[in-house]
Amino acid sequence: MRNRLTYIIPLGAFLLFALIATIALVGTINGTRQTDQLPSVLIGKTAPSLPATALSDELAISLEELAGTPVIVNVMASWCAPCRAELPALALLAEDVPIIAIAYKDKKEDTAKFLTDFGNPYRAVWMDYDGTTGIKWGIYGVPETFILDAQGRVVLRHAGPIFKETMELVIRPALAELGL
Amino acid sequence: MIAIAEIGHFALIMAFVASLCQAGWPLLGSRYQSTRLMAQLQLAAMGLVFMSFAALLHGFVTSDFSIALVAQHSHSLKPLIYKISGTWGNHEGSLLLWIVILVLFGGIFALTSSPLPGRFARLTLAVQGAVTSAFLAFSLLTSSPFERLADAPLEGRGLNPVLQDVGLALHPPMLYLGYVGLSLAFSLAVAGLLVGRIDQAWGRWARPWVLSAWSALTIGIALGSWWAYYELGWGGWWFWDPVENASLMPWLAATALMHSVLVVEKRGQLKSWTILLAILSFSLSLVGTFIVRSGLLTSVHSFASDPSRGLFILGILIAAIGIPLTLFAWRGPQLASANDASLKSRDVALVMNNIILVIATAIVLLGTFYPLILELVSNQRITVGPPYFDATFNPVMAFALIGMVIGPVLAWRRGALPHLKSTIGAAVMGAVVIMVGGFWLLGPLSAGAIAGLGLLGWLTLGMLADLHRHLKLHPPRQRASRIAHLVLPVWGMWLGHIGMAVFLLGALGDGLARSEVTVRAQTGDVIALSDRAYRFIAIEQNQGPNYSTLTARLQLEDLDGQPMGELAPEKRFYPAERQTTTEAAIRPRFSGDDYAVLGDGDDTIGYSLRLYHKPLISWIWGGAALMALGGLCAIGGRRPLQATSSQTG
Repeated sequence: MRNRLTYIIPLGAFLLFALIATIALVGTINGTRQTDQLPSVLIGKTAPSLPATALSDELAISLEELAGTPVIVNVMASWCAPCRAELPALALLAEDVPIIAIAYKDKKEDTAKFLTDFGNPYRAVWMDYDGTTGIKWGIYGVPETFILDAQGRVVLRHAGPIFKETMELVIRPALAELGL
Repeated sequence: MIAIAEIGHFALIMAFVASLCQAGWPLLGSRYQSTRLMAQLQLAAMGLVFMSFAALLHGFVTSDFSIALVAQHSHSLKPLIYKISGTWGNHEGSLLLWIVILVLFGGIFALTSSPLPGRFARLTLAVQGAVTSAFLAFSLLTSSPFERLADAPLEGRGLNPVLQDVGLALHPPMLYLGYVGLSLAFSLAVAGLLVGRIDQAWGRWARPWVLSAWSALTIGIALGSWWAYYELGWGGWWFWDPVENASLMPWLAATALMHSVLVVEKRGQLKSWTILLAILSFSLSLVGTFIVRSGLLTSVHSFASDPSRGLFILGILIAAIGIPLTLFAWRGPQLASANDASLKSRDVALVMNNIILVIATAIVLLGTFYPLILELVSNQRITVGPPYFDATFNPVMAFALIGMVIGPVLAWRRGALPHLKSTIGAAVMGAVVIMVGGFWLLGPLSAGAIAGLGLLGWLTLGMLADLHRHLKLHPPRQRASRIAHLVLPVWGMWLGHIGMAVFLLGALGDGLARSEVTVRAQTGDVIALSDRAYRFIAIEQNQGPNYSTLTARLQLEDLDGQPMGELAPEKRFYPAERQTTTEAAIRPRFSGDDYAVLGDGDDTIGYSLRLYHKPLISWIWGGAALMALGGLCAIGGRRPLQATSSQTG
């Protein structure tokens, strides 16, 4: 520890740390660093399957039946407050794209009540009772939204609710690329 | 309404003014300097912050929903204890608690600083005042807890149910005692750099602060781990999550500091290194605060993350760490002891201890921030998890554990103590016995597991041999009085090191012999798990004070079908917060915990149940408690200047 330089090392190391933290934090604030845009290994791949049970016979439309058109898959749950908050946005989207719900770790009666109470933007609702479908899709929490192209491949994953901003900055541009 | 919140807010502003004066006073000419005045400023700041905290507490207890913070985080139906703990269950309130503890430590220092040289005490108080005023400014400018709402709602939004728990009532205050307690060592170090002189007396002043902060931090981390274990229902006790790492890093650095302060106190060496550690320990506490509150890293535990607040903390961080480190780069070389090169025996062991602990800290730091660095460089997002830490942190700490037996049997100046050989012999024997025993009981094991068992035996037998040696020197009749006469710091060392062995026992028991099963079961089913079975008796719906519950009643039976006890894991639904929590049912025993979690399900498809048997797991927290007790013991009692464990005989 006799060398003067060694006493400067801690300061240098700290400044490097501070620089990295500043860049990352400024990025987070400006929105260039999206903490809710998680990568998905599914991007570009055929979407995993849906659960086996639907909420009702009318709401039992499968991905195969919708082949040939882009589809939105929305993982939701009646117990999740943000899922309720994003329903208006989904209702708007439903005018252009069919939306399929995966009710994650939910009960039929709760899901049904949720949709009666707050409106149903979904063409189909599938029940993922034990969360195994959630695991297949690699979800992180509810709500999450996946956009599938006409060939049934995943083109976008969005974690978290869809509000006005995410709608315009994330969802609409992705749909536009699919010609919608 | 009496404007208690406004009084609280005003007190906080006045505290800021007092702290700012305290920080700036030494800049005035020397004829104005008065240690008494500085101490009074510190005590005034303490009184004002206490007043402010009491005002906020009053708002929570009386459910005054015109205060925005109370409306957002409380609910009139909540039990009183959670109204109180809810005060610090949010960003603004926990920040105020942090400041409360900061001024508490400053106040205690102000009251006990008379033996210190005046200038040194004044500079320490000034640094403490600077840190306090920075945090007060942060609270007042970005996170004032006393904002009022124009239209007070009739009911509050409730506290996150996961936080409605005794764990929350205890864990943050303990953790902050540890984090913030390190601020005193930091202030003493910076004052030492400013004065330009550090001597053995510095070590004597710093030691109680370091030890008490370290003990509180140990308990705080253990409480957090215990809380996660029983409340989150994941069945684990440590997840290598960024927020957990944030508390582990200052702990590791403070552990190193606690040992190197000894070398300063005894031998007047390692001074510049110790100063650096003191600065780093508190800096890492600040980094921890920054991680938790900035939203920079994704964590399962973080609450109140807000990037723009993060920028303010980053500012504090850069000033609070950058300035002392600059000072260190400038003044540090003057502190290097002339005889640093002549370290021997126990000094060397303590240097090794420090090197190992600093490497361990660096490993955790790297693992925590690597995802961030990688993201900036290559835009990839990854998480660093247990595999990295198992492969890097554990082996490094293994060396620390080996040293925990050797260090105490080396003398300060002249090589080994006479019982070095016998102690090491006992330790080696212990290692072999436990390794063979583990192999016999558990079958083939991984290299890591064998090493863990070996270390357990090594540490336990080594420490017991050392203890035995101290008592054996005396005839049996005197042994009792002998125990009473051993200096407290020596007891502190034993308790601390044996606590580590106990902790290791728990970690290994759970790690090596745990069994778990996840099933979907109907009432009436019997689920077997290792040497016991669970009978699913019934499922019940009930009503709690501010939640409704779904409870599974499980009867635990041994292999012959004899009932051993009942477990009732629960799911709670909180309507105010629209949130569900899992209440694991735990049957804790010294030999191990039975742990059951109720998942989803209904009567037609059955209910999913996660069942665990976790041998010896409680020893983890018992070990931590012993370690903390050891730290407290080591504060008490003055060490005779020459006394080491060798001279007590």
